[in-house]
Amino acid sequence: MGAAPANPAKAPRRGWTFLFIRNAVLWLLPVALLWVLAAPVYNRFLLGSAENLVRLTENPDATNLLRKDDHFAYVARRDFPPAKSLVYSFRVTDVHFHLVMLGALFLAVPGISWRRRLASLGWAFLITIFFDIFLIFFYVKFAYATRLGAWSLAHYGPFARNFWGLGKHLLDLPFKFSLPFLLWAAFYLPDLMAEIRPKEA
Amino acid sequence: MPPKKVAPARSPAPAQDTVPFWLRNRRELTFLILFVVLLAAGFTLISINWVNDHAVEPFTAGIARVSGGVLDLLGQNVRMEGTVIRSPRFAVNIRNGCNGIEAMLIFLAAVLAFPASWKSRLAGLALGILAIQVVNLVRVVALFLTGVYFPRIFDTSHTVIWQTIVILFGVLLWIFWANRFAAPPPKPAT
Repeated sequence: MGAAPANPAKAPRRGWTFLFIRNAVLWLLPVALLWVLAAPVYNRFLLGSAENLVRLTENPDATNLLRKDDHFAYVARRDFPPAKSLVYSFRVTDVHFHLVMLGALFLAVPGISWRRRLASLGWAFLITIFFDIFLIFFYVKFAYATRLGAWSLAHYGPFARNFWGLGKHLLDLPFKFSLPFLLWAAFYLPDLMAEIRPKEA
Repeated sequence: MPPKKVAPARSPAPAQDTVPFWLRNRRELTFLILFVVLLAAGFTLISINWVNDHAVEPFTAGIARVSGGVLDLLGQNVRMEGTVIRSPRFAVNIRNGCNGIEAMLIFLAAVLAFPASWKSRLAGLALGILAIQVVNLVRVVALFLTGVYFPRIFDTSHTVIWQTIVILFGVLLWIFWANRFAAPPPKPAT
């Protein structure tokens, strides 16, 4: 997987695209298996980090992000009565399944050294970790601003409710789905452009 | 007479050093910024209630009807209730996220942001959106059958496996289009 033609000049024009698509499909399963194995540990890390981030915006600290099992979490508030303290739940694993696509896309690029391939993947993974923490932060704020009835209305104005609602919507759908592609384009678009440049001549 | 000292000819500095980063990567940066702006605009547009009620919901209901027709052909004996496909053994509600619109918008933003002729863009959009919807139809049908025969893996299949497949398909389709068909417009003569 990831093999490149020995001499790109001799390769047919469609070589790069064909190899890239083939490699992406072949990498999908191994990357998915690795992701499945790592997901419980990554979930724990994400919840801890996001809890710290949420608490930076609170005074006094009131939010706990509790693991329900390997994949789910509760948003809990310590200042609520115990019977009502679990205010929202979500599946943490759904936050970061884009890592599968990220791995497949970055490992599939043909004709580059493994050093560059892994370095790019490492940077992209680091950016994705920050994105995932930020997304859970938005989940929590979205729940506080829009899901707690009178409490939400008392603590969040119309602008704040729309901000957290639209922010969560945009981060959770378009940007979560397209982040791997966006990062791939940031690292490898020049390679793709170089591939198609001869057509311009 | 001693030979005049001639200053050594200054070798031209490599272009990489003199051209600023943003200018050197103008096309790539333009693509990335345009892509993000178009994507955010597209998803903001479909989050407006009026657009959702008058465009997204009817589109989703159409997808549900076609999927129901295919499932009927496969002998599933389904009946439709708006965007719900129901059989005696299982039911699914086709909602936002299951209608392929996310993958379509990502593909659309990427095609429009890429430097290519309008002819290439329009052809890419027409065929790409059609292809994405075909894959999405396969997803809905496969998910329904998963719910009927393998209900324990339905959730994982729904949120992880098929979302990844549909979005990855859109991305690979775009790379194929960009590489094979999107001949960028010629640079203006300087």
